[in-house]
Amino acid sequence: MTRLLELEGVSLSFGGLRALHALDLHVDEHEIVSVIGPNGAGKSTVFNVITGIYEPDGDIRFDGQSIVGRRPHQITRLGIARTFQSLRLFLNMTVKENVKAATYGGTHATPIESMLRLPRARREEREVEATAQDVLSFFGQRLLGYRFNQPAYVLSYANRRRLEIARAMATGARLLLLDEPAAGMNPNETHEITELIGRLRDERGYTILVIEHDMHVVEGISDRVVALDHGEKLTEGGFHEVANHPGVIEAYLGRNPEALQK
Amino acid sequence: MAPIGVDEWVARSGDRRDSGWRGGLSRIDARVGWWPRLLVVGLLAFVYGEFVVGGNVNYAQTGFNVVLYALLALGLNIVVGWAGLLDLGYIAFFGAGAYGYALFSSHAFGNLPLASGGVQLPAVASIPIAVAGVAILGLLIGLVALRLSGDYLAIVTLFVGQAFAEAVNNVAPGTLGGANGLFGLQGFKVGSAEIGSTLGYYWFAVIALLILMALLHLLDTSRTGRAWRAVRDDSLAASAMTIPVNKVKVMAFTFGAIVAALAGTIFAAQQSSVFATNFNAQTLILIYACLVLGGAGSIAGAVLGGVVVTVAQQLLSSPIDSAYLFYGILVIVLIARVRPWRHLGAVVAAIVGLGFAAHAIVGAISHSAVAGSPGSAGWFAGALRHFAIVPRGEPLTYGNILYVAAIIMVIAVVQLKGIRRLIAVVPTVYVGICCWEARLTLDPGITAQIMIGAILIVTMAARPEGLLGSRRVEVI
Amino acid sequence: MHIFIQTLVTGIVTGCLYALIALGYSMVYGVLKLLNFAHGDLYMVGAFIGYFAIQWFGGAAALIIPVPLLVIFMMLVAGLGVGALGVAIERFAYRPLRNAPRIAPLITALGVSFILEDSVLLLFGGFTRNYNAPAFLPFTESIHIDGVPIDSVQIIVVCVSLAMMVGLRELVNRTLFGKSMRAVASDREAAEMLGINVDRTIAMTFFIGSAMAGVAGVMSGLAFGQISNIIGFLAGLKAFTAAVVGGIGSIPGAMIGGLFIGLCESFSSSYVSSQYSDLIVFGILIATMLVRPQGVFGQPPLQKV
Repeated sequence: MTRLLELEGVSLSFGGLRALHALDLHVDEHEIVSVIGPNGAGKSTVFNVITGIYEPDGDIRFDGQSIVGRRPHQITRLGIARTFQSLRLFLNMTVKENVKAATYGGTHATPIESMLRLPRARREEREVEATAQDVLSFFGQRLLGYRFNQPAYVLSYANRRRLEIARAMATGARLLLLDEPAAGMNPNETHEITELIGRLRDERGYTILVIEHDMHVVEGISDRVVALDHGEKLTEGGFHEVANHPGVIEAYLGRNPEALQK
Repeated sequence: MAPIGVDEWVARSGDRRDSGWRGGLSRIDARVGWWPRLLVVGLLAFVYGEFVVGGNVNYAQTGFNVVLYALLALGLNIVVGWAGLLDLGYIAFFGAGAYGYALFSSHAFGNLPLASGGVQLPAVASIPIAVAGVAILGLLIGLVALRLSGDYLAIVTLFVGQAFAEAVNNVAPGTLGGANGLFGLQGFKVGSAEIGSTLGYYWFAVIALLILMALLHLLDTSRTGRAWRAVRDDSLAASAMTIPVNKVKVMAFTFGAIVAALAGTIFAAQQSSVFATNFNAQTLILIYACLVLGGAGSIAGAVLGGVVVTVAQQLLSSPIDSAYLFYGILVIVLIARVRPWRHLGAVVAAIVGLGFAAHAIVGAISHSAVAGSPGSAGWFAGALRHFAIVPRGEPLTYGNILYVAAIIMVIAVVQLKGIRRLIAVVPTVYVGICCWEARLTLDPGITAQIMIGAILIVTMAARPEGLLGSRRVEVI
Repeated sequence: MHIFIQTLVTGIVTGCLYALIALGYSMVYGVLKLLNFAHGDLYMVGAFIGYFAIQWFGGAAALIIPVPLLVIFMMLVAGLGVGALGVAIERFAYRPLRNAPRIAPLITALGVSFILEDSVLLLFGGFTRNYNAPAFLPFTESIHIDGVPIDSVQIIVVCVSLAMMVGLRELVNRTLFGKSMRAVASDREAAEMLGINVDRTIAMTFFIGSAMAGVAGVMSGLAFGQISNIIGFLAGLKAFTAAVVGGIGSIPGAMIGGLFIGLCESFSSSYVSSQYSDLIVFGILIATMLVRPQGVFGQPPLQKV
């Protein structure tokens, strides 16, 4: 199993606040790894650092090459795509356009070629259309048909989360970073998301790094769990190992867990 | 604000949006697609040029102005409407294109020891040179603009625009003509065939407009258009989704500059001259008004906005037509805002009644107070003679007081609600009419400016997304 | 040295005026995220109100009330009048656009600007009028700096401006209203949900900002004499620049920015050329924006990703 993503000694500070400290993390190909930790632990910061929004100290390697210092759009083109904790769709564009916009990096037609509908532009448009259909159909009927031409702002919350994942898929990435994909969902939808993440790996071969708070989801999907607190790695391992780790319990619940269990 | 979550059934039936003629239109529009708009524009332009102009130079000039502003609004749409970059210096591209053309088509360079008699290239050469030069300028300004976001971009571009006008007015007067500008430009020539008349330039501009509309639509529906709109909606997310935000922004600037420069060359050739005052803040405001009123983000909106604003401006410059515009707007506003019909009927009857009554009463008290004749030209004067109170002579004080009173009353009407609003509308409209007839018609130039300001305020309040724009959800 | 002091003094006086106008810009931008291009015209209206106050009391050469009373009256009336005008404009023109895309209020502001400038033109004509302040505000010979006499008007301008700026700072930092203003500027929806009357807060903000511009107009008339219906445009532009250079939305920023622009203008006019002084000021500004886009006191926009 090749290590698809590797973080080595990654540190990041915002002024006096130490967001990440000497973090080592890796994700093997086709793995699903969950990152857990209390709020403020630095989980989203890890994503931001991987995708190039912030430049950390230390090294981050994707498929062997270092990606530290690269711009976000370059990193995505290398094969890492993300969703956002607070949903950042292109709200005024239609569902289909949201997905098609993400194919920009994989197409090369120049504006002139697009304007004149030259062969390369036409061919790429057909491919982009096919990608959009393919990616949206992964979510069943929910984002298909009459939804294609609806602006994204009419979508329900759960559908917006699905669209964000679809958009990330359309970039042609190999590694998906999902930031709290089940946040704000009811038990039914949560169950669906759990299945969906599994299908992403099984049917489409994605490698997935997930930030999640809902332990049912984490338990259901993870090959491995990494626990963070105060920007440092507490522990990692299988779900039950990590969930029963005293440090993790303390981080979530505070000291004297025995007293609280009575 | 748009609803956050809409369930399946509502979403499905939401497609059957409006009932009545609006819904029907939007359904037809959805079925036929975009291209018929090109046909409509072309047809209207053809009908205007072929039948309406009829040798009248003024009409030809108006037509030319309409197409010119439509072109400019189209270019601005790329930068502001699609990419969401607030470029308040856009006028500089227009001016640079015009001056660029002028430099190569006149005696300008003759004042430098370069070429006596100037450099006079045929239009086929000078247009591309000017446009290419401005494209590079657009690229440079785009690169500079990358460091700035939102409102800071607006400020810096505003100053670049101002600086351009100042520079062209003061710098190198020998070559650039200083305050006198450059004139005696040769027109568009191919071989020995030259476009000689304004109407000729009108046709040229119409063809340019149609071609540009088509090309820009093709661009909008391609990956570039999607990238622009994604950057506008959320540039951070766009960069996370493979879009090179900086490159896309610079592209928007460059394309916008190219369209403006093209418009500039056509303008310079038609006017046969260029002056710094052609490219001042006033013109920039007009271009923005065209785009925003028509609907930023929409090609058809930009063109429609160009038509509406230029025509309104034209109407306002002629006293007879401005009366039509004033009363026309009054009627439209009343019909649109006073519902149901019986309320409208009551209000109109009350206004008419109040008017004649007031006129009679005041006339009985003092004959000279109503002896003047209403300012509007044509049949308006006759119709309103016994309605509006217009004193003899041209007493400015009376008119000024009416004006201030009218404004205060309009502001008050907007704040009231329900039956009180209906009642307040009656005297407000009457005072407004008297003010128009007794005062505003005396200074048509100033009145035109006031009307433009009022139109801008009212249209934005009524429909902020513009005539053909669509409601946007904006995350601040 | 003589010229230097004179230039410095002129620069400070102009700077104070720009600062007052810039404060209004900054405050309105803070609560509404709106660049109110009509703000400069409010300054112009204030100047006219002051002018007519002088005429009402007999004219510059034949005043019927004592001068200090006149000056106080002018500033009060201009401040209150323009403040009320600002509130009316907000209710009528900007309130319907609270939730509209940002470019719509920009166009509305331009429309308001047209109406203000041309209403004054319609009502009072386009010729320049002169306050003729020297007729009733004598040159005070008693205060000199290094041989340069300081005008009583200049003293008045600086003192009143400083007083207003200090007063504003106290208002914003110490009072409950100031707190609600800062809350609305920070997050309008959240402020509303916490029980702050957002409409009233915004109206008051407009009132204060416009009143300051109005008083600045009166003082401009006293200091520089000439007024006409178009003085608002250029003054507004420069004050707007000052607000941005200082950091738009920041109150100390507007003050510092105003002084900076005033001094720039004065010095480039004296030492370089008055013809190119505007261009030079523009150039300095563009350079400043490129080096520090958020302005001196501004904060770079924070994004939670």
